[in-house]
Amino acid sequence: MERLLTNYFETGSMILFGIGFVTLLLHNNLIKKIIGMNIMDTAVFLFFIAKGNIIGKEAPIIKGIHKGIEGYINPLPTALMLTGIVVAVSITAFALALTIKIYEKYGTIELDEITRMRGD
Amino acid sequence: MTYAKNFPLLMILILFISAFIMPLMKKNIFVKGLSLFTMGISMILSIYTWIFITKNGAYFYRVGHWDAPWGIEFKIGMIEAIMAMLFTMVATLILWYSVYSVEKEVKDNKVSFYYLLVNILLGSLLGMVFSNDLFNCFVFIEVTTLASCGIIVVKDKKENIAATLKYLILSSLGSGLVLMGIAFLYDITGNLNMTYIHKEIMNVHAVYKNTLHIAAGLCTVGIGIKSAMFPLHVWLPDAHSSAPASSSAILSALVLKAPILLLIKILYGVFGFEIIREFAILNLILILGTMGMIMGSVLAIKQKEIKRVIAYSSVAQVGYIFFGIGLGNKLGLTMAIFHIIGHAVTKSALFLAAGAMIEKSGKKKLSELKGIGKEMPYTLGLFTIGALSMVGIPILPGFISKWYLSLASIDAGEFMLIGAILMSSLLNALYYFPIIVNGYFGEENLAGKIYKSNEKSIKELLPLMMLIIGMIAIGAGSNKIMDMIRIGLI
Amino acid sequence: MHNTILKEISKIIIPFIQIFGLYVIFHGHLSPGGGFAGGTILGTSLILYRMVYERERTREKLSYKKLMTCMCGALIIYGILKGYSFITGGSHIDLPQLPLGKPGNILSGGYLLPLNMAVGIIVSVTVYFFFSLFYEGEI
Repeated sequence: MERLLTNYFETGSMILFGIGFVTLLLHNNLIKKIIGMNIMDTAVFLFFIAKGNIIGKEAPIIKGIHKGIEGYINPLPTALMLTGIVVAVSITAFALALTIKIYEKYGTIELDEITRMRGD
Repeated sequence: MTYAKNFPLLMILILFISAFIMPLMKKNIFVKGLSLFTMGISMILSIYTWIFITKNGAYFYRVGHWDAPWGIEFKIGMIEAIMAMLFTMVATLILWYSVYSVEKEVKDNKVSFYYLLVNILLGSLLGMVFSNDLFNCFVFIEVTTLASCGIIVVKDKKENIAATLKYLILSSLGSGLVLMGIAFLYDITGNLNMTYIHKEIMNVHAVYKNTLHIAAGLCTVGIGIKSAMFPLHVWLPDAHSSAPASSSAILSALVLKAPILLLIKILYGVFGFEIIREFAILNLILILGTMGMIMGSVLAIKQKEIKRVIAYSSVAQVGYIFFGIGLGNKLGLTMAIFHIIGHAVTKSALFLAAGAMIEKSGKKKLSELKGIGKEMPYTLGLFTIGALSMVGIPILPGFISKWYLSLASIDAGEFMLIGAILMSSLLNALYYFPIIVNGYFGEENLAGKIYKSNEKSIKELLPLMMLIIGMIAIGAGSNKIMDMIRIGLI
Repeated sequence: MHNTILKEISKIIIPFIQIFGLYVIFHGHLSPGGGFAGGTILGTSLILYRMVYERERTREKLSYKKLMTCMCGALIIYGILKGYSFITGGSHIDLPQLPLGKPGNILSGGYLLPLNMAVGIIVSVTVYFFFSLFYEGEI
């Protein structure tokens, strides 16, 4: 329990990941599924960035004087997650566009009704 | 000949850059020409790369100005070169086929975007094959997903959109899992380069045993969704059966295979033979692969549409590949890669032949396609050769991979699994033969059909014939190919 | 939206948004920000224009073809520049590279500035396309 509390970033991101995963899998509504997907992605970003942060060091932006290598954190995890965010945004946009199309064609965004309409 | 070292990167760059010239072109015929031309160029470059590798051996290629642990790195070995050659060759033939028929399934104003997506898709698949950097691979996976969703939805029918959304949601689930797996690996090793992660893991694997288990599991399940491992295959039949014919061929021949290659790289390259053998994850892959082999075929028998049958057959064939990976010995792995090659060529030929039948007759149900052999004898003939390979007739690649997979399972001491391979072959026969037999024979089937009335011209069938000839060549030269794969594995 | 106040105010605001976006793009290699962030800001100005001035007038100024040409051109330039850098770096060829310059100047940082500009164009057009597709179903 204490280990969970000291690593609260990791614990939080795991809980968020679980919430997103379950929302994505179990909900019938397509918009809710997309929200779940976003929560899941955000959890991974949080995990990555929390792992990349070291308390007491700064983000690698030089303000005034250069503090030396020891003064800054590794910018790689943050940069990676920036890429991840861009990917997540494009997937979200694509999924939303498809949802609109689905609504035009089927008149509903509930997955079980769509399955029933297709008759299989 | 050191300039040949640049060819893998050059292939990807040519495909990506030329993709964005396409929307600026006015006539569709130029778009098709450009797509075919760039794909042909990358094919030639990949052949050069392969020749270079056979002479000089594997090498690491630094992308950009930074050396390995900081910058991105490509690893080009024998397997990667063979895969690049396979991907570009199959894609060139499929594109050649699609040049004649794409307008029937894709609207005129969408054709340039279709070829744009195909080029991007191939570029990112090649990137996934070559890259030695985990996060780079993840980005390429995402690009692949988006592009392949695009080439499914381009048909703009009701069932396409529903299938694409299903595919997109499931594969974003998969990519979330893969990213989490990468996060764990990065967390304990501090590297993203596969070679360096492997070195670090060799030092620390005793300490972080559970974390490594979790990371391997997350990567396996995530990639399993992308490549339709058995219980996670639910998106595949809808997506592959509703897409245009050339897209289905690309999707099941190439898009399923690149993530599997990545999984092989992660399990055997990042973790390494010694460590991964102690994990339970290989047994899981073996069991799921076996189940996929049998259940994919069983489900295929129940289908009523020809493209759905072929799509479910993909599930079964991917099961063979996972079976080979799960056995955990060198022979199994070799056969998994060989099966990737054989299946890519065969399945693309089958999808294109089925697409030709549907396009010409306008029917897609199996019951309506009876007697098609009299109207389209050559197309069904090519389909038959492909189906024979799937069932496992000697000389054809399907037989060879089944034979050596059986030997590999004896090596691994799993005699029960030979039964599964045999049963799966029989089940394969059970759904492929009715299509052929009903197509060619039966009095009532052939009544009222005119011989060769619906046949495609030889010009249009040529790429299909070349795929089938390539398949037979792969079967005939299987020993040489397997030797090359073995060189790559060590 | 036929609203005079909105039109007049947006006439004043849009140039400022665009200048801020350009600032973020051009200072991407010196301070936080860069092509992606600046491109989104530029994109919002296009979106505001579209919302205020309706489809017909926007189509004259920001036609689909023009924007598509801009975006594809930027993508091709990005690919060629970065590809040149990759290939020369990867094969250890000593070809001329863009100069690194003095840290702190606008014209420094080698490839970062032109790449940021290309990314800025791509992102702004993409954001605008996203909006107009979701807003009215066409560009």
